[in-house]
Amino acid sequence: MSSQPPDPTRGAGFAAGRTAAAAARLVADVARASQDSWPDAPGVVAQANALSERLEVLAEADADVFAAALVALATPSAELERHMQRAAALPLEIAEASSDVAALAATVAERCDGLVRADAAGAAALAAGAAAAAAHLVRANLTVKPDDPRLQQALRAADDARYSASRTLEADV
Amino acid sequence: MSTEEELVARCLAGDQDAWNDLVRIYSRYVFAICSQGYRLQGADAEDAFQDVFVRVYGRLGTLRNPEALRPWIAQLTRRVCLDRIAAGKREEPSDVEASDVEATIEELDEAFAVREALEELPEECQEVLDRFFCRDESYRTIGEELGLPSGTIASRISRCLARLRQRLEG
Repeated sequence: MSSQPPDPTRGAGFAAGRTAAAAARLVADVARASQDSWPDAPGVVAQANALSERLEVLAEADADVFAAALVALATPSAELERHMQRAAALPLEIAEASSDVAALAATVAERCDGLVRADAAGAAALAAGAAAAAAHLVRANLTVKPDDPRLQQALRAADDARYSASRTLEADV
Repeated sequence: MSTEEELVARCLAGDQDAWNDLVRIYSRYVFAICSQGYRLQGADAEDAFQDVFVRVYGRLGTLRNPEALRPWIAQLTRRVCLDRIAAGKREEPSDVEASDVEATIEELDEAFAVREALEELPEECQEVLDRFFCRDESYRTIGEELGLPSGTIASRISRCLARLRQRLEG
């Protein structure tokens, strides 16, 4: 067993970002494997790579911002509100980028070689899970009220991702 | 006549607008070589930048092949930066690896070529590629901003990238 203490700042936001980034890399791999039969595949590879890089950056930023928010919560000051606002913004961006990964995975699943279709469906499911986790973090933020547009935006991204994933998974059986 | 040939010819004919265009087109390129390639900072980078364009102005008539305008400007910039480093002794020339500088210039050349090719694409392609790759906007945001169904954005981006690639590969 590892003796390293858990790092509470690398929580669900960080994990969601990294998971969706891994899903995006999988989408890129599947599209790359289908380049011979699909003219749009190189463009999809470029988009998946861009989303993967974007999500890796967002995951790290989320960990940094969440750490700052935890410190601010422990020692309340006028800065607390600002830190909490930033802590809601990052999961929202992760939810939206994850939703895009799920949508791209669904497109790839429709067009890719049959041998790798299950990988595209798996990528859509992973991205949808990441979007749902990130949207939940927006909802859990202390500054976000039920009618907050940011929450509506995050929940819509999670819904879109879930739809992409379920459509893809059902088509693959 | 290529764009570079035409620009050089207009500059040599004394067209002030052409000089303004030349500075506008190459200013970021020159500044990036000074600051990223040779790591000149602040006033040093700004002075080197000015020196480069003074030399371009004074020596453009010696450029034998106007189509080689960009590599010629890159070479002038290298000389100016090395002169400044040697004269100022703020940083030993050995601290700046020649291979690193060349790699940086290669990257800048590539970025420059992509930007040029991008500017030749239709407006709608420039817009959608800029929004996705430079502004990190989501498919939904792009769709809403451009009045397009978000489900069509990914394929639109792919088609625009294919056109960009065609331009780059000539």
